Formats: sequence, C-alpha cells, structure tokens
Amino acid sequence: MAPALSPSKTRTRVLRRALSTGALALGICAALAAPAVANPIAPDPAHSPNAEDIRVAYWVTLIVAAALAVVFLGALFVALRRFRERRGASPRRVTGGTGITLRVAGALGLVAVALFVVGVLTTESARKLEPSGPDGLTAATARHAQVGVKDVPQPEPGSDEPAEGAPLVINAVGQQWMWRFEYPGEREDIAEVFSYNELVVPVDTAVLLNVRTVDVLHRWFVPALGGQVDAVPGTTTQTWFKADEVGRYPGASTMYSGTGFPAMRIWVRVVEPEEYEQYIEQRANDLTEAQGAVEEQNREAEE
Amino acid sequence: MNRVTTPTITEPRPELVTREVPRKGIAWIEAASNGDHKAVAKLYLGTAGTFLAVAALLFGLTRLQLIVPDNTMIQPEIFYRLLSGMQASAILFFAVPLFCGLISYIVPLQIGARGVALPRLHQVSYWLYAVGALTFFAGYLYAASENPLAPFAPLAYEEYSVTNGVDAWMAGAGLTVLGFLCWAINMIVTLHTRRAPGMAWRRAPIFTWAAAAISYVLFVVSPVFLAGLTMLMVDRRFDGHFFDALEGGSPLLFEHLAWFFFAGVHAVILIGAMGAISEIVPTFARKPLFSRGAVAGSLVAIAVLGVLAYMQNLYTAPLAWGVQYATMVVALALLVPVGLVLFNWVATLWDGSIAARAPLALAVAGIVLLVIGLAGELMTAVMPVAWQLENTTAAQADTILVVLGGGVLGGFAALHYWLPKITGRAVGEGLAKAAAGLIVAGALVFFVCMTFAGLEGQPVDVYRFYEGTGVSAYNLIASIAAFVIAIGVLLELGNLAYSYGNGRRVGHDPWGGSTLEWFALSPPPPHNFDAVPDVRSAEPMRDIREAVRARERAYAPPKPLPRSEPAASGADRAGDGPSVA
Repeated sequence: MAPALSPSKTRTRVLRRALSTGALALGICAALAAPAVANPIAPDPAHSPNAEDIRVAYWVTLIVAAALAVVFLGALFVALRRFRERRGASPRRVTGGTGITLRVAGALGLVAVALFVVGVLTTESARKLEPSGPDGLTAATARHAQVGVKDVPQPEPGSDEPAEGAPLVINAVGQQWMWRFEYPGEREDIAEVFSYNELVVPVDTAVLLNVRTVDVLHRWFVPALGGQVDAVPGTTTQTWFKADEVGRYPGASTMYSGTGFPAMRIWVRVVEPEEYEQYIEQRANDLTEAQGAVEEQNREAEE
Repeated sequence: MNRVTTPTITEPRPELVTREVPRKGIAWIEAASNGDHKAVAKLYLGTAGTFLAVAALLFGLTRLQLIVPDNTMIQPEIFYRLLSGMQASAILFFAVPLFCGLISYIVPLQIGARGVALPRLHQVSYWLYAVGALTFFAGYLYAASENPLAPFAPLAYEEYSVTNGVDAWMAGAGLTVLGFLCWAINMIVTLHTRRAPGMAWRRAPIFTWAAAAISYVLFVVSPVFLAGLTMLMVDRRFDGHFFDALEGGSPLLFEHLAWFFFAGVHAVILIGAMGAISEIVPTFARKPLFSRGAVAGSLVAIAVLGVLAYMQNLYTAPLAWGVQYATMVVALALLVPVGLVLFNWVATLWDGSIAARAPLALAVAGIVLLVIGLAGELMTAVMPVAWQLENTTAAQADTILVVLGGGVLGGFAALHYWLPKITGRAVGEGLAKAAAGLIVAGALVFFVCMTFAGLEGQPVDVYRFYEGTGVSAYNLIASIAAFVIAIGVLLELGNLAYSYGNGRRVGHDPWGGSTLEWFALSPPPPHNFDAVPDVRSAEPMRDIREAVRARERAYAPPKPLPRSEPAASGADRAGDGPSVA
C-alpha cells in the first residue's frame, strides 16, 4: 500500500470501501430474508405430501448451491481487488501440493455426499403413497403393478373389497395437444367417464395417476401437486398426489410435442368428495346423453 | 557497440527444407484446400464465429415473440423453425467447432509439433462440418425442422413431422457429427505421436490436457449419436421400428443415445472453456497455475463423469430406481472436479500481480456466469429438484448460462488471448471489455427472470405464454436482457473481425505466456518452428526466456563481442517480445 495518499484519494477509497461493505451487507440480509419474504425464488406452494418433499430438496440444494457460489465468487473478487498489478513486483511462484488438493476435494466430496443423502431421502419419501385421509373418498380401488410409486395399499388376497385408504386410480392420457382423464368406475351405457384438460378429484384422497400417451412423448407437471413425470409410448408411468385443500391448481405439459404444444395445459380442480361424486354422475349423464344424440343422428342419416 | 543486449532476429538455419516453392493458386482455393492445421483451424474459427452471429440474431428473434403474453407476431411453425436453427447453431455449429478450431490451431504449437498427424482427415472433418451446416440450413429453403434441440422419436416420425425439415436436420447434424469424429481421431493421434522431445504428459500445458479430454469425449459420444440418427432415419423413411413402441421398439432408447451425445457436448464446452481460462489466469496473474496436476486430473474427471451423468436428463422417465440413484451419484460427484478447477483459479490469482487486460476480463466474466450456471446445474443433479425444475425455464436458464459463460465468453477470452498468435495483431480491448460487461449484465438479468418464470411453472420451448399465469413481467425483462446479450455478442464478434485484419501489430509473445506456442512466430510459418526446443519443464517458454536473459548477463555490455556467436535462433526471437515483464 502506498504510504502517503492525498486527502481526496483517501476519501474516495473510504467511500468505496463503505459502499462495497454496505452492498455486501445488504446482499447477505437479502439472502437471509429471502425464504421468508420473497415469493419469486419459492416454487408454487405445495398442496400434496410429495410436493412438500420436493420443496425440502429444493430449499436444501438452493442454500448449498448458493453458499458455494457466494463463497467462490467472493474469494474471486477479493483476489482480483487485492492483487492488482504493481510496478516492479514479481509475485512469489507458489504452487500447491497434493495435501491441499485432497483437503479441498474431500470437503467438496462431503458436500456431494450430503446432497446425495438428501436426494435419496426426499425421493423415497416423495415416492411413498400416503393413504387417503378421513375427509377423502373411500370407495376407491387399486390393483396393479407398481413402477414408480411405493407402498400402495393392496387388497387382501382373494378378496374383492378395496384396501383401507386405497387410492383413486385415474388414467392421464397425453395426446397432441391435450390431456384426457379417464375416471374409474364401471358404466352400462358408456365405456368410461372422461374429461379433457381439467381433472376433477376429491380432497384428502390419494390419487394414483397412470400417465400414458397415445402418440409422442409428453410430460405431466402440476407444480403444486408433485414433480414432472414422462408419458412414454408403450409404457405406463405412475405418479400420485393427495391434495390437502379445495382449489384449482394449474399445470402444463413440459415436453415439446409439436407446434401446438403450449396449448397442453392442465388444471386440477380439487373438490369435496360429495361434489366429486356429483360431478362424475353429471358427467356420466352428459356423456350418455351425447352418445344417445349421436346414435339418434346416425339413425336419421340411415333413413 | 551494444549488439548483444538488444537481441536481433537472426535468419534461422531451417531444419526443414522445402524442395521447391509451391505454385500459388487462387487465394480461396488455396485456403480451402490447404492441409496445414492452421489453415483448417482458421476455417473452423471463421465458420463458428459466423454461426454465433446467426445464433445471436435468432435468439433475439425468438425472444421478441416471447416479449408479451399471447403474442401472435410469429406463427408457431415459423417460431419453431427459428428456435431449431438457434439451438443447432449455438451448440452444433458454434460451440463445439469453436473449441475444435482453437485446439486445432494452438495445441500442435503448444506441444511443439510441426503439424498434425493426419492433416487430410483434419481437413475432411472441417468440410463435413461445413457441408453439414449447409445441409441443415438448406432445409430453410422449403420447410425446416420444427424440433427445438433435436428431433426425438416418435415425434420425428413421418406421421408427426410431415415436412422434410427433419431429414435435413438429421443429415446436417449427422455430417457435422461425423466431422467431429474425424477431428477427434486426428487430434488423438497427434497428441500421442507429435509431442516435442521432453514434452511428457506431466509437462503438457493445461489446454493440451483439455484438448485430449475433448478429443476422447467426442470420439466416444459422436458414433453413438450417429448410430441413433441412422436408426431414426431408418425408422422414419424405411419402415424401421427401433424406437416404435407399437412394434416393440423403445422410444426411450433414442433419448438415451441423444442425451449421451448432448451430455458430451456439454462436457466439451465446459472443458474447453476451463482449459483456456486455466491458461489465461496464470499468464495474467504472473504466477504458475496453483496445482497443474489437480486441474489436469479434474478436466479428465469432468470428461468421464460429465458423459456418464447423461441420464440426469431422464430423471422423469420410467427407469429402474437403482439406475436413477447411480446417475445421481455420478452427477453429484461432478462437484469435486469442477470445484477443484474453480479453487485453483482463485488460488492462482491470490498473491499474484494481476494485469487487468481484456483476455482476463473476458475470462472473469465467463467464470461468473459459469459459477452461477453450474450452481444451478448442481441443484438439478438432485432428483426431486429436477422433477420440479427440469424442462422449465429455470433449468434452461442454467444451461444457457453455462453456454454463454463457457462457450461464448470463454471462447472470446481464448480468441483474445490467441488471436495475436494467429494474426500477429492485437485485438481492441476497450470494445471487448464493454461487450463482456453487456453480456454478463444481460445474462444475469435473463437468468434471474427465467428462473422466476420457471418456478412459476413456465415450460421450455413454448412459442407463447398465457396472460394471467404470472410470468408476463419476467418474460418482458428477459427479452430485453436477451437483446442486450445479442448486442454484446455481435459487438465482440465485430471487434474480433475488425482486429483480424486491422489490429495494431504486436510481437510474437505479447502476454509473456509460458507455453511453447509463444515461441513460434506470429503468425507461425507453415512448419511452425525452425528449431523444436528440448522441453525440460511445464513452462518451456519461461525456460527459454531465462536462458536468453542468462546469456545477456553473461555477455555484459563492456565486454567485446566474440565474432562467431552460436546460433540459437528461437531463443533470440523469443527475447524480442515486448512484454518480458
């Protein structure tokens, strides 16, 4: 450092130091306050247990990644400020050996292991299907092979009764460029009850989705109700959710599937179980009526 | 009197003698048919720069469509053709060929070679790439591919992609990737057979290590993608069913093959930028790299782990859980080598004497973007986080930051550093620093806005977003930031192009580098070196400089000069660089 500085230079330097310290402090405060205040860096609020597991993983990794980036960039800028070129100075030719390399690698490795453990725990927790709650629909059935979802309540061997807390099984079928939802239950007049783009489900009920496609790759994603799941031709992928609150949750397909792809939006409308049963009944009647009208038209056309 | 203290360029005694002076043909035919690695590399660099400009323009255009919700300015089909052109230009026709070109020019000089091992294969590689790019863009004469990153099965089948654009994509990308394969073979053979005496691997410069890692990555991933494209072509045109689920094929298989390649491309961009920055940082800190072994090992580790972690793009696919967890292990393990490289850069700068020149400024700008982008990619290496962020604009912003920081800014830093060697001219520094500032500012604002939009659930690759989904403000600001990025990129490209022919002339060693490329003339003659020196350390150029200085001291000025001085032509030339600081 130069021994004698002119007053103005000293003032600039003090000012600059104060400014940079202030900015740093402000940044740290902002970073600490962020989870509490800032909406933008938080994903949509979770409304399903598996979405909550994803939020846990998100916040842990965000804090770790941000801390690593801040430490590194801080050190970089301190180095760049402190060690500017000085005339006639020839820096010491310091190099590091194996020791320090191993120590840094070990520290980073520990962080990686910790993140892996967090990843596995949250993954396992998100996969585990939580049985339907007391406020949910109970007359659901489930008997199927499990690909991605664990701990689905199975009925007793040889019994036709559904298991306690068994999920409602709904098929979500992607096609260019909409989603078709097929609800369970056998009907006399029509093959099944279905709806497009808006899925209606009862609250506090475990819903097991069979995600399928009839054409190209698609991807199911409703941020409030869990993560993304691929719809792959020829296979059925499974995911689940259990909505904790009545409401309407938006989502969209996140896999490019052709030029009309932005239209593949999803809404999940969560309603009370009674309203769900009414909806299914209403829907079945509407579909039967529509089918009758078509048959009527056909008969007229024949004549 | 003072003849010794001011070393002059003495006419060297050439070790290679050309039998006859070759006949000069028409200039462009000479340039196009010249097998010299430097001529081919210049073609690579020029073409890659052109496609960077194309990518920047298309990036601005696609963001113009996404500036307001429900915009109908560009039709969906046109939008996806532009998006496809942008992504192919940025990745296949700019980022990878840029590092191919830099390596082709610099690495043979760094290892003290007189040329590459398979010059004709090297030349073929460029022409395959050039013809591939031409084939790709020929699709725009009728109807181009409408698939953003790559056509995936079964979307690329005839029933879903009606126009012939997909064929142009596959043929163009296939030729280009075949070019990468030829390039990699030549570079691997060159690196193993053409190193100067004493240039053991432990003494090889870091950029040479990066070149080795990149060559092997391209050598491994290119054939896989070529196989995938061939199978896709058979499926699409000749009733094959490799990926057709209805006939017992597997659509996931193509995803595996494609992501294997694109993970390799990602690793190439990262390693190329890291290799170049690891040369620039020590030069401008006036210190050796903190730990050469750690950086070289880390680059190799990034190559291996980066390719093996390709399945992190398939976290949402129905794969076995054991495979998913194994992928997570590999993806998270990347933190160690990446972190080691970053640590070594800071440790090298620490206690140095840092000259704030343009190459370092561009490198630091690139490091900032790389660190933030890689931190974001670290997050999506954890599976549940990927379920949330993958294929939203949040995860895409990380990738864009890595490409901007590594491919664009890292590439610019490397070009600034080495263009004086290629042309013998300096590159304008003021414009470069301004461009670096524009790109970093634009990229950070873009990153923040796109991350916020992604957390709201905005998917990637949409031609429109909807009013009332809470992302309108983010997209507006991101579009403006994208225009700033595009302007910065075009500004710096213009700066490089102008300086190529009009820059101020500089000496052969303008930065005081410690590797062998600074020993050659600028621009180097066709045979690179008149005399190839014996390499005795990892910093051969520094040894040469010290030898020159020691000789100057030995022949102190008052002493009369002996009449017959031993000829050490290279050393004399080395001493006349202006900045032996």
